[in-house]
Amino acid sequence: MKQRTIPFALAALVVACFLAMPALGQQDMKTIPDEGFKTKTRLPAVFNHDEHNEKAGIAECTACHHGEKDGKRDPEADTSGIPCSDCHSAVAKPGRTSLMRAFHKQCMGCHMDQKKGPVTCGDCHKPLPK
Amino acid sequence: MHALYDLAVGPLAWLAFGVFIIGSIYRLLAMRALALKKDGAFMTYISWPHAIKSLVHWFTPFGALGWKENPGVTIATFVFHICLFLVPIFLMGHIVLFDTFRGWSWPALPDGVADALAIVVVLICAYFLWRRLSVPEVRFLTTPQDVFVVSLVGLTFLTGVLAYHRIGDNLVLTTLHILCGEAMLAAIPFTRLSHMLFAVFSRGYIASEFGSVRFAKDW
Repeated sequence: MKQRTIPFALAALVVACFLAMPALGQQDMKTIPDEGFKTKTRLPAVFNHDEHNEKAGIAECTACHHGEKDGKRDPEADTSGIPCSDCHSAVAKPGRTSLMRAFHKQCMGCHMDQKKGPVTCGDCHKPLPK
Repeated sequence: MHALYDLAVGPLAWLAFGVFIIGSIYRLLAMRALALKKDGAFMTYISWPHAIKSLVHWFTPFGALGWKENPGVTIATFVFHICLFLVPIFLMGHIVLFDTFRGWSWPALPDGVADALAIVVVLICAYFLWRRLSVPEVRFLTTPQDVFVVSLVGLTFLTGVLAYHRIGDNLVLTTLHILCGEAMLAAIPFTRLSHMLFAVFSRGYIASEFGSVRFAKDW
């Protein structure tokens, strides 16, 4: 019995690692996920997760995937893997930041601070590069 | 370009709004002082009822004889001024900036409608420009400054339309759009765009003289 448990456990571990992959890296991601919006007024913002982080030199997931503590942004908590729209709904709950404002603050805010990266409407909300 | 964009959305935006608001207050007070000095007598016959009655007529399309004389110009003028305020205030892209950096939000026009109305403003600006340079009686009254301000308004909307359609470099077009808009705002108190501040008062003044002194309508 024991002889079977170990290979099974190893196999389960391998499967778990594969399942966890998307949370660790977003190779397939080409745009910001817009499922949280009921009506889509613009094209989703072009965003290649891994390419962006490599270019921007971002190693910490919490740089973007922050948490929340007492209604304030908690930069310590790592929320990678949890969709942004789980906390930031399209229409903001009281005391929360709406999804659109959260995305704009996150992307445009950082680009303005760093003086790098797109800051205009049309430089993010555009068709995917071919 | 990033640095110029930062300048345009930061310090220059504050400067433009500051010049517009403080400049407007100064111009209104200075004009009041000048009117009292040169024609203080108007204080005896200035009348709100006459002024309001006349303004209602002049704010109504074809509500005044002056509007009936030239229907094309009348329609262009009304459509132009309505769009000039409606589009920038209720434009998604503008509201998003207030929403992101100030936390203020209000309903927006659908993008397609705003786009169409902005194109209408550009076309009417082109018409006004043509009219200023080609119609003899208008040309006679036109100064280089008039050509400049009409072009400035037209350029502000044109660069906005181009940026929305992602024609040309988006950062360059958007920065130009913001700079033109700021120049327009700052120009309001000090150019003929000041009719935005004075139109109501000059109409009220004329209406009062017609109503209280000549017992006549001014529309």
